[in-house]
Amino acid sequence: MPGGTAFVKVTVSRVLALVALVVLIGMMPWLSGRGAEYTILRARYSDREPTPEALAAVRAELGLEQGPLPLFLSWIRGVFAGDLGTSWISNTPVAPGIVSALSVSVTLMAFALAAAAIIALLLCTPAVMDGLRQRRRPASGALSAALTSLPEFLLAAMLLVAGAIWLRWFPPFGWKGPEYAVLPALSLGIPAGGLIGLLASDAIRAGFAEQWVATWRMSGAGPVRLTAAVLRRALPAVLPQIGLVLIGLTGGAVAVEKVYAIPGLGRALLGAASAQDIPTLQAGMLALMGLALLVGTLTTAARYLLIGPAVRFGTLPLAEPPRPGNRRQLALPAAAGVTLLLIVGAGLLREPFTSDHARLAAPGWSLPFGADASGRDLLARVGHGAVGTLGTALVVVLACLVVGIAVGLFPLAATGPLEVANAAPPILAGLVVAALSGPSAHGAAVAVAAVSWAPLAAHTAALAQEARAQPYVQILPVLGVGRARIMFRYVLPAVAWPLLRHAMLRLPGVALALAALGFLGLGPQQPTPEWGLILAEGIGYVERAPWAVLAPASALVLASVVAVGLAGAGHGARVTAVNSAGAVPLPGTDPVPAQERVQAPAGAR
Amino acid sequence: MSDGGAFSNSDGGGSVSNSGGSNSGGSVTGALAADRVSFAYPAPRFRGGVHGTRHDGTLHNGTLHNVSLHLAPSSSTALVGSSGSGKSTLVRILLALAKPSAGTVALGAREVRPGLARSLRWYRQAVQYIPQNPAGSLDPRMTVSQLLGEPLRQLRVAGNHRALVGEALERVEVPAGLMERRPGELSGGQNQRVAIARALAVQPAYLLADEPVSGLDLPLRDTVLSLLSSLVREEGLGLLLVTHDLGTAARMCGTTSVMAHGRIVEHGPTHRVLDSPGSPEAAALVQASAALHFPPAVPAGAAP
Repeated sequence: MPGGTAFVKVTVSRVLALVALVVLIGMMPWLSGRGAEYTILRARYSDREPTPEALAAVRAELGLEQGPLPLFLSWIRGVFAGDLGTSWISNTPVAPGIVSALSVSVTLMAFALAAAAIIALLLCTPAVMDGLRQRRRPASGALSAALTSLPEFLLAAMLLVAGAIWLRWFPPFGWKGPEYAVLPALSLGIPAGGLIGLLASDAIRAGFAEQWVATWRMSGAGPVRLTAAVLRRALPAVLPQIGLVLIGLTGGAVAVEKVYAIPGLGRALLGAASAQDIPTLQAGMLALMGLALLVGTLTTAARYLLIGPAVRFGTLPLAEPPRPGNRRQLALPAAAGVTLLLIVGAGLLREPFTSDHARLAAPGWSLPFGADASGRDLLARVGHGAVGTLGTALVVVLACLVVGIAVGLFPLAATGPLEVANAAPPILAGLVVAALSGPSAHGAAVAVAAVSWAPLAAHTAALAQEARAQPYVQILPVLGVGRARIMFRYVLPAVAWPLLRHAMLRLPGVALALAALGFLGLGPQQPTPEWGLILAEGIGYVERAPWAVLAPASALVLASVVAVGLAGAGHGARVTAVNSAGAVPLPGTDPVPAQERVQAPAGAR
Repeated sequence: MSDGGAFSNSDGGGSVSNSGGSNSGGSVTGALAADRVSFAYPAPRFRGGVHGTRHDGTLHNGTLHNVSLHLAPSSSTALVGSSGSGKSTLVRILLALAKPSAGTVALGAREVRPGLARSLRWYRQAVQYIPQNPAGSLDPRMTVSQLLGEPLRQLRVAGNHRALVGEALERVEVPAGLMERRPGELSGGQNQRVAIARALAVQPAYLLADEPVSGLDLPLRDTVLSLLSSLVREEGLGLLLVTHDLGTAARMCGTTSVMAHGRIVEHGPTHRVLDSPGSPEAAALVQASAALHFPPAVPAGAAP
């Protein structure tokens, strides 16, 4: 448990991180810089020339002259007075639109939660049955891993094709009745429910494996009582992760609302970001932040209710999940990886930019994946897209490694930023960056990097703590070795290799996040072959030419399978690369290495 | 308080010559003394904590109350006591790793307190340490010569470092051929001796050894203890041997201090402390030790 100073440090760090986030949101108009003026001039006064005078007039009108601090202060005063500002594009108050969009999104999330709850329940049932029948077997996790593997934007696209176009069971677009919510709710709920089920069933198996269960059983506790007790023991450990999954839904909702044309907050934000309507984006971000805080508070409160005051002292040992050490689980990811490499290799030899083929030409011998709407070779585009996406992902991962190590060496002070980065979905970061600097490959990379360093920092903190506790490091001061040398000559080399491995395992997950941004139009622009972008282009033609969706989707599915497989192979990092929620343990002040207890950021509460 | 007569050259200036590659004993500046030292771990923030236990598993209920301890060159002192009595805390304070809440530590006339590595070089060279489980204190990624060279470099010890390393290894009877091996390639006993050689390489005037032989088999234990006593006898080393094995204390040390509940409850010539302990804690230690070594031979309830 944090002693005095540690507790203060963590709390201060958290408060500062939240304040920094609010300040960042408040200063967005200033941060958006000159680009914003042109956008607004075009949007509002399309008849005017972009002369310096016209631009200056726009600046004055928006109050950009005031400088960052007054701008922020007038914004925050407005927020407290209930005035969220005026849209730069439509010149109408932002608040009513945001409120109605928020209510749509919250309804959608409620549906998604119901779907997730059913899926999680189904996944946990075998764990409970095994526990009651006293069968001990390692969690197979294959089903939940499969459910978790697809990012929401891809799942949404695939369900749209299957459920609305082929089967015609559900309406494809709009938001007019409950039947419109089924497919979107499934797109959001399947990955979330899969992840929650995975975490919870592991924790339940660990709970049933504990000694006290046998004692209870012998003293005649019935199955219902026993199950209730095990759930009470197991769930608190996974509640923080479940909270992160729920917060992650807000990111997934952006993609899902775009695919199904749902007038929710996500779509409103996406529209605001691409039109550089900063006030709308500010209001939406503020709403999402409030939502995230609410979820965080609720999960923390639930933990208190379940555990009682013991949670505060950190004295309650948390159930350790049995580690599945099944090598066969690597067969599928390996096969997927090889297939992906073959596709990419074949695609790289072909020409991705020229329109040599008939529009939407069907797949054939000379054109294995068919052609897209511009008559370009889809195999070539998928192959070249892999290089672009994975190359960017590699840069992002290395940047995250550097930041993660730097931050992880000072874990207490970094708790707040780390939690924020960990909870923030990459898509939301992408929205902010795209709104500020326009959509671009660089912007997408920056956005993904900005939220992806947290797991590496947490791992660094855990490893560094472990390394510092080694007797051969503890003795160094006696040998006259100074602090800096201890850090760079002893601690860093000890943590570098495992961290590099961890970073590489996150590569496919980061690539998927980049693809999600590309899909939403927040990443590289036409005609760059980028997986998400190719998928977004194809989705408009899905009825006439399903292969336009199938080609990029299959590449993404293969990458997802590899991502989940690698994450599972990583040391307990299984949960991390999977979902946009990026559920990872945070470095608490308790010394149990964070990676060893995926379930339990107890000391950090 | 100070019995300055015990050593040859207790100079008032308290300047420790950093220059000397000279043998220990020659450059000794005076007694190593903890004077009325107290120590308490910061109070736990939450109501639950009663003892000074820390969450990281290393149990520190070692608080100190007004403890004084004097070490002189060419002499060895045993520090005995049950676990939790404060021995390790006292050693940490003597090593300037922990700051006493009251009292001082001084070498000669120069006071020592925890600080930057740079400002403590003079002290680190004069006072070295053999930790519990010395072999574990070797970085597995470094070779023997790197391990021994590190303190020589970091403490800016004068002289030919390679020669000093060779000399130190020779003293602990580790063949020079093992210089480029890593700890993983050596036996447990060899590693232990390497760790001792690392402490000796900087030619300290004082050596604090915390249960240095607890993990060793008996023949090796003998070798290491003989080495330490010859260093005291022949080279003027001042030795503090922390142990809970009274047999070792009796064999090695002229004086013994007994610690209990963070206080020195008894101090005197080892044979007197062992034969007629004057405090109940010391008596309990003697009795427990005797029972441990000769369970059937000692009649139950044999009172001192």
